[in-house]
Amino acid sequence: MKIISTLPLSVAAALMLTTSALAQTPGKEGVAAARTTNGVANWTTYNADLKGSRYSPLDQINPDNFKDLEIAWRFKTDILGSRPEYKLESTPLAVDGVIYTTGGTRRAVVALNGATGELLWQYAMHEGKRSAESPRALSGRGLSYWTDGTRRRILYVTIGYRLVSLDADTGRPDPDFGTNGVVDLKTDFDQDLGDLDTGEVGVHSAPAVSGNTIIIGAAFREGFTPKTHNNTKGYVRAFDVRTGKRMWTFHTVPKKGEFGYETWLNNSADVNGNTGVWTQVSVDEDLGLAYLAVESPTSDFFGGKRPGPNLFGNSLVAVDLKTGERRWHFQLIHHEIWDLDNSSAPLLMDVTVDGKPRKVVGLPSKQGFFYVFDRATGVPVWPIKETKVAKGNVPGEWYSPTQPIPSKPPVYARNGVEEKDLIDFTPDMKKKALELTSNYVLGPVYTPPIVSTPEKFGVINNWAQGGTNWPGGSFDPETGIAYVYACGACISSTGLLPPPAGLSDIPLVVGVAGQPVVMIKGPGEGAGADSPAPSTPVGASSGPPRLAVDGLPLVKPPYGTISAIDVNNGTIKWQVAHGETPDFVRNHPVIKAMGGIPRTGQSTYQIGTLVTKGLVIAGENQFTRTEDRPRGAMLRAYDKQSGKEVGAVFMPSTQSGSPMTYMVNGKQYIIVPTSGGNASGEFLAYALPSKR
Amino acid sequence: MKIALPLLIAFGLAGAAVAQDAGKSVWQGIYTSEQADRGAGVYAQRCGACHGAALNGTGEAPPLIGGEFVSHWDTMTVGDLYDRVRTTMPQNDPMSMTREEYADVLAFLLKNNGFPAGSQPMDKRSEVLATIGITAEKPASSGG
Ligand code: HEC
Repeated sequence: MKIISTLPLSVAAALMLTTSALAQTPGKEGVAAARTTNGVANWTTYNADLKGSRYSPLDQINPDNFKDLEIAWRFKTDILGSRPEYKLESTPLAVDGVIYTTGGTRRAVVALNGATGELLWQYAMHEGKRSAESPRALSGRGLSYWTDGTRRRILYVTIGYRLVSLDADTGRPDPDFGTNGVVDLKTDFDQDLGDLDTGEVGVHSAPAVSGNTIIIGAAFREGFTPKTHNNTKGYVRAFDVRTGKRMWTFHTVPKKGEFGYETWLNNSADVNGNTGVWTQVSVDEDLGLAYLAVESPTSDFFGGKRPGPNLFGNSLVAVDLKTGERRWHFQLIHHEIWDLDNSSAPLLMDVTVDGKPRKVVGLPSKQGFFYVFDRATGVPVWPIKETKVAKGNVPGEWYSPTQPIPSKPPVYARNGVEEKDLIDFTPDMKKKALELTSNYVLGPVYTPPIVSTPEKFGVINNWAQGGTNWPGGSFDPETGIAYVYACGACISSTGLLPPPAGLSDIPLVVGVAGQPVVMIKGPGEGAGADSPAPSTPVGASSGPPRLAVDGLPLVKPPYGTISAIDVNNGTIKWQVAHGETPDFVRNHPVIKAMGGIPRTGQSTYQIGTLVTKGLVIAGENQFTRTEDRPRGAMLRAYDKQSGKEVGAVFMPSTQSGSPMTYMVNGKQYIIVPTSGGNASGEFLAYALPSKR
Repeated sequence: MKIALPLLIAFGLAGAAVAQDAGKSVWQGIYTSEQADRGAGVYAQRCGACHGAALNGTGEAPPLIGGEFVSHWDTMTVGDLYDRVRTTMPQNDPMSMTREEYADVLAFLLKNNGFPAGSQPMDKRSEVLATIGITAEKPASSGG
């Protein structure tokens, strides 16, 4: 028997907790020394480019040597906040040998030496109550870089929703931007947020910068149990990146007299909010269009206060980069009530369809559909048919009779949970699954939510965290193939109940019959450096019985996949289960007795992919332990053409954001943001050994 | 795939997993049922609102029951888990409970994940708990 022991963590952990965010380190010597143009390849926006590709043409790390990668440096983010963070999602940028990223519970900005990981400067804004109250705390997805050839700026949005412009060389706020380098995004918003500390809005995404225009979206609390349907509206704004002056505002919820207002019956556009753009914005600089993937209006699962299709909820909207005027839009889901909000950055791809070159925009989704449009006109490349869907019976709800369903490409991820999806490793397991699910509703995509009762707790679904979430997809600009991760087993049950007095003015929120209805927290809410926020009601509980059979997932594998979608012809070129089979599945007595099963992949929504000259690269988000290696996770590389795994390297912790790559002094690096379980946030930089 | 040994040693920087022959296991009954019962109360008061009454997780708060949760702590120690909970949970107010309460709630989590109760209550010192290994699978030779 082997028992594992480690050094006590207590000393280290106690130290972390007493360290507050450091003051900004002055001076430009660090950046000046690290900056180089020698053998560099940059990664200057969150998605590598404004088209959303996450592609780099580098090929020093290639199918032959990927397996030899080793850790070159690591950067721990614990001290960038009042407590460590366990949800590091940022993709760093690389500019001429210097790495820029957000990190920590303070969402600090750091500049690091790209060859060594050494800290060059650090900037943090202490926002007190305003950040404690933020619906979107923690380190966020990253930041943006802008230069006019002389001035070089790093821009990001703080936890408290302020846009900050920093000198990339020193980390000092730019005095020519906004007020001393800061634009208060809670003001000049075409709506009154009331108290600026508590007014609900924030954002995790990195701003999109094109030319002199910087575009900022908006995000809110988790929409399971909102306090009010009349929440803040998620307008999208553009600012002049040099001055911070507001250029335009796009009303994602139209104002009276604006196009789309009448799609909210009974003037309900006036009294509903959300409908933000919380994911990345993509930009076609030639067409001069910005592509906004808009989320759902207020209340993720109940829309009785907003009868009608609700434009521009769940729409893809192309707006003029200079004016913010709408050029075209396509609503992917009418009157959304499933939390299937638009989650992925639009992928701007140049492909050849039926022999003709086409400029298209592709959008992966939580519902496993990959939507493809002509990106100049918004016309679907392959027919998207209005298809009749089930009507629910939730009192007061308004139902859209049809939903648009793409004819091509085929569905790439589980988007319904039906009898055929249930675990069936043995007949006994299938029987148990049917027994368990007899207390729930099963159904295909767009099965409507129900009121929770003791007989039917809710609808079992892959909605909120299924399919493709915030990491989005990636693509190869040379071949027109998109690579998209999707979760196939991120299932939950959703039912509705009336909230107790004082919780919400919405008649039905998420709840389970027989259990008290409580506020459900969103990403990082109440978890930032300035938390505790006012404490949650205690003694409460929610969550239906476990959706598992003998400890195994209720649904069949694959639990997580990467799909290669050929956007030239709308087919799925290959699909692989991504991720080692979880230990509790692999080591399950029944699975062992079966002699094992093919790799299942893992159930997680945190996986983003990186595409290089020859590889598709993604790490795992779950810890596993196998015969030939200790507990950890693997960073895997697949052949782009075949999906065959060509190499895997060990990570001491799990991938929690999307990887990126760059080169400095002729050496290619891959950075993976990691965190989870026992491991707080850390960037791991991999490179090939110098000597072999 | 094979991993070269030197690489593994390099990884052992933070919370190194070092194999050791003598030592205790979470399978040996390292908390009492009374402790777990008290922990149920603490859980309902301080954890359930986020992690769910049935430990299933809600929203961003992950499940604290089941194979995936246990995998996160496989080959770590009870001390690691104790200090993780103590220093970061409840997420909106960390280090706000006594060490006894943290031990109780941890006993409750262990119980729910199928690790057996025993006759001795769980120690509340991190350094002592750091000598108790967590393994997802019950070792063949461990006593009850
Ligand atoms: C305000 C909501 C909230 C409360 C209250 C809360 N947690 Fe958490 N907990 C979270 C979130 C969100 C995460 C995931 C982020 C992270 O890992 O820090 C988490 C993570 C954890 C983890 C790591 C899970 C893993 O898979 O390794 C443990 C263990 C945990 N919580 C235990 C507790 C215990 C015990 C309590 C009560 C003393 C508690 N939590 C109270 C929100 C909460």
